[in-house]
Amino acid sequence: MIRTEKLVKSYGSGELELVVLKGLNFEIKTGEFVAIIGPSGSGKSTLLYQLSLLDEPTSGEVILDEVRTGELSLQEKTDIRLAKLGYVFQDYALLPELTALENVALPIIMQGLTTPEAYLKASLALERIGMVDKKHNLPSQLSGGQQQRVSIARAIAHEPQILFADEPTANLDSANGLRVMEAFRDLHEKSDQTIIMVTHEPEYAAFAGRIITLVDGTIVSDERKKPLK
Amino acid sequence: MLLSLRVGFFLALRQLRRSGKGTTTLIIFVMILTFLNLVVVSGLLVGLISGSFKQFREAYSGEVLVTSADGRDYIENSPALISFLESHPKVEAISPRYSVGVQLLGTLTDLPGKNERANRIGISLTGIDPAREEVVTGFSRFLKYGEHLNEGEEGYILIGANMIKKYSSFADANIPGLTLLEDVDIGSRVRVSFSRAGGGVVSKEFIIKGIVKSKVDEISTRAFITDKELKKLLPVNKEQVQSIAIRTDYEYAPTLVAETKDFMEGHAARIQTTDEAIPSFLRDIEQTFSILGNALSSVALIVASITVFIVIFINAVTKRKFIGIMKGIGISPQAIQFSYIFQALFYGVIGSLIGVILTFGILKPYFDVHPIDFPFSDGILVATAEGAAIRIAILLTVTLIAGYIPAKLIVRKNTLDSILGR
Repeated sequence: MIRTEKLVKSYGSGELELVVLKGLNFEIKTGEFVAIIGPSGSGKSTLLYQLSLLDEPTSGEVILDEVRTGELSLQEKTDIRLAKLGYVFQDYALLPELTALENVALPIIMQGLTTPEAYLKASLALERIGMVDKKHNLPSQLSGGQQQRVSIARAIAHEPQILFADEPTANLDSANGLRVMEAFRDLHEKSDQTIIMVTHEPEYAAFAGRIITLVDGTIVSDERKKPLK
Repeated sequence: MLLSLRVGFFLALRQLRRSGKGTTTLIIFVMILTFLNLVVVSGLLVGLISGSFKQFREAYSGEVLVTSADGRDYIENSPALISFLESHPKVEAISPRYSVGVQLLGTLTDLPGKNERANRIGISLTGIDPAREEVVTGFSRFLKYGEHLNEGEEGYILIGANMIKKYSSFADANIPGLTLLEDVDIGSRVRVSFSRAGGGVVSKEFIIKGIVKSKVDEISTRAFITDKELKKLLPVNKEQVQSIAIRTDYEYAPTLVAETKDFMEGHAARIQTTDEAIPSFLRDIEQTFSILGNALSSVALIVASITVFIVIFINAVTKRKFIGIMKGIGISPQAIQFSYIFQALFYGVIGSLIGVILTFGILKPYFDVHPIDFPFSDGILVATAEGAAIRIAILLTVTLIAGYIPAKLIVRKNTLDSILGR
């Protein structure tokens, strides 16, 4: 479970201060698939960075499994990210010198597994998203959609509690975007994976069971609905 | 820590394997040049002097040299010392030599005019046993013109090339006080004369049988006759020699010196290893060249460290986003730093390895066979495994630091800023 308390994020100071998140309070329960939507500049990506411990709020707090993350050191946050969180970035963010398998195995090796064990787990993750046949390809040898699916495999291979996705379909055409969203849906349905996804595309937000709408750093709606099948 | 090392190695290995071959080759090339600069340049500089030490040992002193003590005309107790050395199991060969300072007159018939200087030089005349000298120094190899002396032969003399104008390397130099013999060559008659200890002059004519030349002054600036003939000319102390060159194992030389000193207790003589016998100014030059070599090496080290720094820095800067992503997905900053350190070490290790192969497999054997023809020595490449190991350690340490600093600079940047390229 993850929740926020009066979460504020601002940039600059004085007259130039820009408040991006304005005291947000909400909670996401384990197993939820949440889409955060809103127009450009509404603060949705900024919110994701706070929730995923990649950034520090100006005030307020993110509480993850009853742990107040504002009190954690950088190293402790890194350890939590490795153990409990998974990330899918907008531009795939695969390491170019590593094959698909190695990219997926890297965080698993960092968790202390041997390389063969990590490769086995990585292969399973790639299989889950239908990319196992491309596991020896370098990112440059994969299409955008394929790269994003490898990125999803990397994010789920170490079995994180929460999977964060920042505009995962933004750089993909509609066919590939749809395949990525289907992958998220399968993960959620088959593994009860908690997913928090930022998107500006309503048709992809419809895959989620809960949609939080942000406008100017404020939650203007928080709807639970039946996800798209 | 161990986990970070493992992940760092995992990353480094793959980054190296899949990085641009041209860049990797260029960096390794720079590291090879740096290693060669560290080992070979200073090794050659020191080798110019060490070459002269080696020649001094091989051409004149042997591993141990016994000479007259200060203020004495000869080695006391010479016959007993020679017997001792001849029976010593570790002594391979000895060459006892007589020496006396003489005047050598080159023109015997045309006497100089009133204001003309006589064609005469002062020279050290050395009496040698040709056979023994051959075993100890290979003396015949110094004979450039004419023929060598035969054992017991009388009436013939060999003269060092640097004392005859026609053959001397200094003939065209106007050195005050340097007088060379003129108008003499193989077959010319010369007159040797020296003062007796008790008064009067010993004088004898010789025919020049050969010209000897070496980069060792003790050969090129002396005259040689057989020991038997010089012994006859000496008025007193006929059995007492002025120097004994001893051939033994180089490592054993200090022990032999100690044993010989024990044997000679109470008798005056200077007993030295070849290294001790080398003039101190040559040692000073060697030290100066060594410092000069180290100074040049330091410059090379700085250049190499800057090269590695720039390469790693550019590499890290261009991959800043990926470094941020790695941190974002939980890879420890330490592991990322290790990956860059491993890469830098790879360049250093491969460069050093190739440098070692080039140095000890090609350059050193080459310079041993084809020494640099330097005016006063045959320059060799002085490179020892110990010295190379120290330089490799220095190079790797510098490389490690040069790899660590840029990696640390980039890795410590804010994770989100790195990911977003801010």
